[in-house]
Amino acid sequence: MFYRLSGTYHTSYQADRKLWKIPTDRWLVIGLLILALLAPLYVSPLYLGSYVLPWVIWSAAALSLTLLMGLAGQLHFGFAAVMAIGAYASIHLVRAGIPFEIALLLSGLISAVIGAVFGGAALRVKGLYLVMATLAMQYLVDWVVVNVPAISGGAHATLRTPEVSFLFLPIESLASRYWLALGWAVLLTVFFMNVKRTSFGRALVAIRDKDFAAAVIGVDPFRTKLMAFFTSSFMGGVTGAILAFCFYRAVTPEQFGFNVSIQLVAMVLVGGLGSVIGSWLGAGFVLLAPIFLTNLVSGLAASGWVPVSQNFLSHLPLMIYGAMIIGFLLLEPLGLAKIYDNIRKYFLVWPFRHARS
Amino acid sequence: MTFLRKLALTTALVAGLSAPVAAEDVKFGLLQDFTAVYTFVTGQYNQGQQDYLALVNAEGTLGDGNTVTAIVRDTGNQPQRGIEAYNRAKEEGAILFDFLSTPVSAAILDQAQADKNVVITPAHGRGDASDGTVFPYVFPMLPTYWAQAAALIEHMKETGGLEGKKIAIVHIDSPFGREPGPILEALSKQEGFEFQAFPYASPGNEQSAAWSEVRRYRPDYVLIWGAGGGQAVSVRTAIQNGIRPEQIHSVIWLAETDAANVGPQMKGVKRFEATASGTDHPIIQRIQEKVIDAGKGSGDQANVGNSYYNLGVATMAVAVEAARLGLEEGQPLTGETLKAGFEKIAGFDAEGLMPPVTYTAEDHQGGGAGRVSEWDGEKWVPVSEWKASYPELIRQVIEESAAKYAAEH
Repeated sequence: MFYRLSGTYHTSYQADRKLWKIPTDRWLVIGLLILALLAPLYVSPLYLGSYVLPWVIWSAAALSLTLLMGLAGQLHFGFAAVMAIGAYASIHLVRAGIPFEIALLLSGLISAVIGAVFGGAALRVKGLYLVMATLAMQYLVDWVVVNVPAISGGAHATLRTPEVSFLFLPIESLASRYWLALGWAVLLTVFFMNVKRTSFGRALVAIRDKDFAAAVIGVDPFRTKLMAFFTSSFMGGVTGAILAFCFYRAVTPEQFGFNVSIQLVAMVLVGGLGSVIGSWLGAGFVLLAPIFLTNLVSGLAASGWVPVSQNFLSHLPLMIYGAMIIGFLLLEPLGLAKIYDNIRKYFLVWPFRHARS
Repeated sequence: MTFLRKLALTTALVAGLSAPVAAEDVKFGLLQDFTAVYTFVTGQYNQGQQDYLALVNAEGTLGDGNTVTAIVRDTGNQPQRGIEAYNRAKEEGAILFDFLSTPVSAAILDQAQADKNVVITPAHGRGDASDGTVFPYVFPMLPTYWAQAAALIEHMKETGGLEGKKIAIVHIDSPFGREPGPILEALSKQEGFEFQAFPYASPGNEQSAAWSEVRRYRPDYVLIWGAGGGQAVSVRTAIQNGIRPEQIHSVIWLAETDAANVGPQMKGVKRFEATASGTDHPIIQRIQEKVIDAGKGSGDQANVGNSYYNLGVATMAVAVEAARLGLEEGQPLTGETLKAGFEKIAGFDAEGLMPPVTYTAEDHQGGGAGRVSEWDGEKWVPVSEWKASYPELIRQVIEESAAKYAAEH
């Protein structure tokens, strides 16, 4: 009833290949996009700057990682390092006088090249062994950033981002930073949905499912795996630059540490591997749930509900958060995306019980 | 009805007149890391801060019925959570912030300066923020790591001389661990000693490789520069490698907990301290009497008087003194008047808990005085007087670094 199917016929291949075949889905996406675009008008600076903006950027990061982990099946536990390369490269390029737009692309390219070099390990090892190889990348990049003052910015290892403008729009106000980040996240989302329908996307899926079977049907594993690392690292690198310029505006090595890599993997897994909506939901959950819980618990404590020490108070949200992750994954191992899908399928045929698909 | 309304109006008017200035609730944002990296210090430090603020409210230190409230949140050492907590506390009216986390402080520094909110960075953050001309709203407040290194070196000079001696600096491999580098570099030329750095990987649970190198180097003195669990490992591994406890000199991050973890071997180890430890101080005793015994303490009573607890008390003592002086300018207290209040503080020593500090528009470090104390098996015993070591050199390093920062923007 809600996702009305009656009267929706596809009479051409083109119509059948639409991204959103059901009108409700289409209207939902358009509505959300308009809401997102107008967010600076109706969301308070506190929520725009501390919730929506980081959510949008981390969704872009989760999309970049899920291309590699979800579509191509290559585990990557050092993705924060890829973003670090992008962030540091973009700042140094802008400082060297290169326009921001070009610096963004170049920083993506630099991340892509370095990411693909480490991705070379994927040509020989798989699964847990690949995790080790990408962890090595994380620690190597961390080490280089910390130990080369020319990169990290000297004694205190803090680099402020210079003032820039993007296509003549100065990236200074909160709204402009938000729109730039949103534009990049939307671009990645559209790219991701379309890449699944290209020969490259199908080759990635074939590699994920069985690489030598893919080789038998004519997919070159060498090329495809490297391309997967290259594409994903490019996306991650630009996202890192966006993160630096639009959100942190001062980068330190700790912002791209190992724990951030793990957070990114958690976003992808909790959201649902290889899913667009899962990347958005997973990023939102992993990023914002601890903040919401911390404020909730502090609010309860202030009203005298939980009379406990500050130490316990600080750990309580983490316990709830951990329990929630376990709960969600027990309830639906395929992630938040699958939970959304179940709800949608239920309403697709509501008030009846069974769908055809 | 009309009479009643009149009566109500008059009462309201009289009430309004009799209290010409409404009592103000000054808000401090203590948005710290309770759950990730700084857990070794935050619990006790924050407990000291909250207990001291409770004492201030109980004693009415701020006058005119003014009170001070702490907004306490966990940031997990994550910059994005720190930014959220900062923005929220700012909306709730906080004008002073203490993040006790280098990455979070770094991410918020510029924003806080633009918002004209005071950020205190005691024992963390950028040392060059001591230059108030470049960082008008940041107060490192206590001796920077540079001043700490200088104090330890001066203590070595006074106890055994430096000419021709060898100093090993064993540090965590991070920007924090490398902070003493420039000071050692400058002082080695001036005082004629040689030094070598031995980094170990973060978080420092395993340091045997670094220390076997140190053993080969045969140093006369050892500086250990780490924090948290790694510090006890440093002391233990040093002693295993034939270093005598008396040779070991530590940065401020070595406390009672570490001594308990090391055990009896710890006797003789020295550290820098910015505030006195123990309960034998007027402020701590009043906290015990009016806050802890009154059941208003914010944590485990056994922590009262610990090094980090007293450090927290001292930071808030200075901040409240600044608020008191700032309120003299008139109400309401804002970030700007609070900053002015800080810069009026002269010779304040928190009733002997810390060395006298004086902040000026140029010097936000407060002079950089500290002392060295030694673990006697039960407690930290001071072995030097409160003083600032090599202040000209420290000031020069601060100004050079701050100028570089200013030039970049």
